[in-house]
Amino acid sequence: MAKIVEVSSVAKDYGEGGIITHALRGVDLVLMAGEFTSMAGPSGSGKTTLLNIIGGLDRPSSGTVHIEGIEITQLPGTQLSRIRRDRIGFIFQSFNLIPVLTAFENAEYVLMLQNVDKEQRVERVMRVLREVGLEGLEHRFPRELSGGQQQRVAIARAIAPEPALVLADEPTANVDSETGRSLMELMRRLNEEKGITFLFSTHDRAVMERARRLIKLRDGQIIEDTEPRNL
Amino acid sequence: MIVRLAWRSIWRNKRRTLITMTSISLGLTIAIFFTALVEGVFRQVVNEAIRMQAGHITLENPEYQTSPAVDLRIGGVENLRRRIEGIEAVEQTKLLIWGQGVANSGAGGVGVMVMGVEPSVEMKTSPLAQDIVAGAYLADSDDRMVVLGGHLAEQLKLKLGSKIVLTTNNAQGQLVEELCRVKGIFRTGSDEIDGYLIQIPATFARRVFGLGDDEATQLGVILKRPGDQAVVIDAITPMVAGKDIAVLPWQSILPEVASFIRLRRTSNGVFQGLLFVIILFTILNTLLMSVIEREREFAVLLALGTPVRQLKGQLFVESACIACLGGLAGMVLGGSLALALQIWGLDLASIMPKGVTISGFAVSTTIHANLTPPILYWIGGIVLGATLLLSFMPMRRITQVHIAETLR
Repeated sequence: MAKIVEVSSVAKDYGEGGIITHALRGVDLVLMAGEFTSMAGPSGSGKTTLLNIIGGLDRPSSGTVHIEGIEITQLPGTQLSRIRRDRIGFIFQSFNLIPVLTAFENAEYVLMLQNVDKEQRVERVMRVLREVGLEGLEHRFPRELSGGQQQRVAIARAIAPEPALVLADEPTANVDSETGRSLMELMRRLNEEKGITFLFSTHDRAVMERARRLIKLRDGQIIEDTEPRNL
Repeated sequence: MIVRLAWRSIWRNKRRTLITMTSISLGLTIAIFFTALVEGVFRQVVNEAIRMQAGHITLENPEYQTSPAVDLRIGGVENLRRRIEGIEAVEQTKLLIWGQGVANSGAGGVGVMVMGVEPSVEMKTSPLAQDIVAGAYLADSDDRMVVLGGHLAEQLKLKLGSKIVLTTNNAQGQLVEELCRVKGIFRTGSDEIDGYLIQIPATFARRVFGLGDDEATQLGVILKRPGDQAVVIDAITPMVAGKDIAVLPWQSILPEVASFIRLRRTSNGVFQGLLFVIILFTILNTLLMSVIEREREFAVLLALGTPVRQLKGQLFVESACIACLGGLAGMVLGGSLALALQIWGLDLASIMPKGVTISGFAVSTTIHANLTPPILYWIGGIVLGATLLLSFMPMRRITQVHIAETLR
């Protein structure tokens, strides 16, 4: 299996002058293609910071990050933007759908950025909406959907461009536990059927148990890296 | 996608968008309406002045403006006017013979400006011929007849048919006295004109001032369209080559009117500029607010791989939509109001005192606007251009969005 993510000695410091917060302290991590990995840890442990750095949304203070063999920490903004568009899907805690676009258009958005032709876009978006269980709701705006349905749109948006990696930051935090479970089942199914690599952060123990690999962070360091059943 | 996102985004906050569009629209309406109104007043004044005096273009002795004297005349005017009237843009030519003198009656003497005119031409062109309040205007066949202003008639205690003696110097430097009778009294609304001007037929004027049959002080050219002035001057200039004749625009003949208009245009421009700045601040505030409110959304779009230039493009389209819709509404509203005022006019007699003059020429109490395409294009273009320029400021904010911090 190919390496999708390789994080080497990544540190991230915030603040200026005398008050410096060490959000990450020398993190090393490798994710192989097709992994379904959960990151857990208390608030401030560095989960979101690590996801942001892997996703190219933030730059580390030191260390390197390779996505499919490309070192991204020193890439100029436009190239980094292209890697995010083509190789990484994002699922956010608060859904972050574009409110003026319908479910279909939200899922279609990145495909349009990629200049995928219209016929293919329609076919692919309809397929992923069907896969996430939103058939018939494609013309609804986010405000017309429940929280769980909105997160399904966000998942559809993340997987429609067929990325190598999907990063999900607390994807079940804003939905009830039953919806959270069904979202996790959906992501697990997509991982198994499509081979998409997932890395998500969570506080929810039930969610952690759905992962095949669990990484625990504390004070900006990985303190455990194991399968959930070994917890 | 840019256009779809922009269009839906501007209608996300309908009230704010409508307020911004209304600001643009009202600002533009006021600017167009008042500019057309002021231009209408200027057009009326200029039109009356040039028709009463020596036209849009005047041919005269090159030294006449610096030292107006009766001996500074031009010759060969009949041939010249025939050729000039052959130019398509020319409506009419008119001859004027000017001189100064003293008008005497039993009640005393008053210094006057004597204007020799062709009555049939003046009847067609000059507003003064329509301002007769007693008696009648001159006829081409009249001899030793005058029309004079109401104030002058009061000063000299003259009535219709009264005798009046004109004393003046002719072109040969001799003292001349002519007995005339009052045929008509005019009131233009200008104290200067009504108290100082006497009109006499041109044939009589030539005799009084000692000018030949083919001579005049000025040959005035009235145009069908004032905008053709420069073209017609260019066409006339070769006709007088080698002759001692200057071809001048009305702005050189009536410099005080031209200066007044320039001054008022400038002050009007400053006033409208200030109004415009206030409106621009409203627009800038709205555009900035709409970006600040959506910073998280922009961060998401950037996270998904949207190029910064595409987001800038989206903001530009949003600004353009708001500016175009607001601008279009303002142009339609301002243009319609100005057009209505142009067609029907506005009678200000109840609030505007009679006798208001600009550089000695009476302003009519019924005001008509003058809406021209350049007023719409220029003002509309400036508003549109300025709004689009303003959109660059909110665009800069997008480049400052830190994705991770904004999404935290």
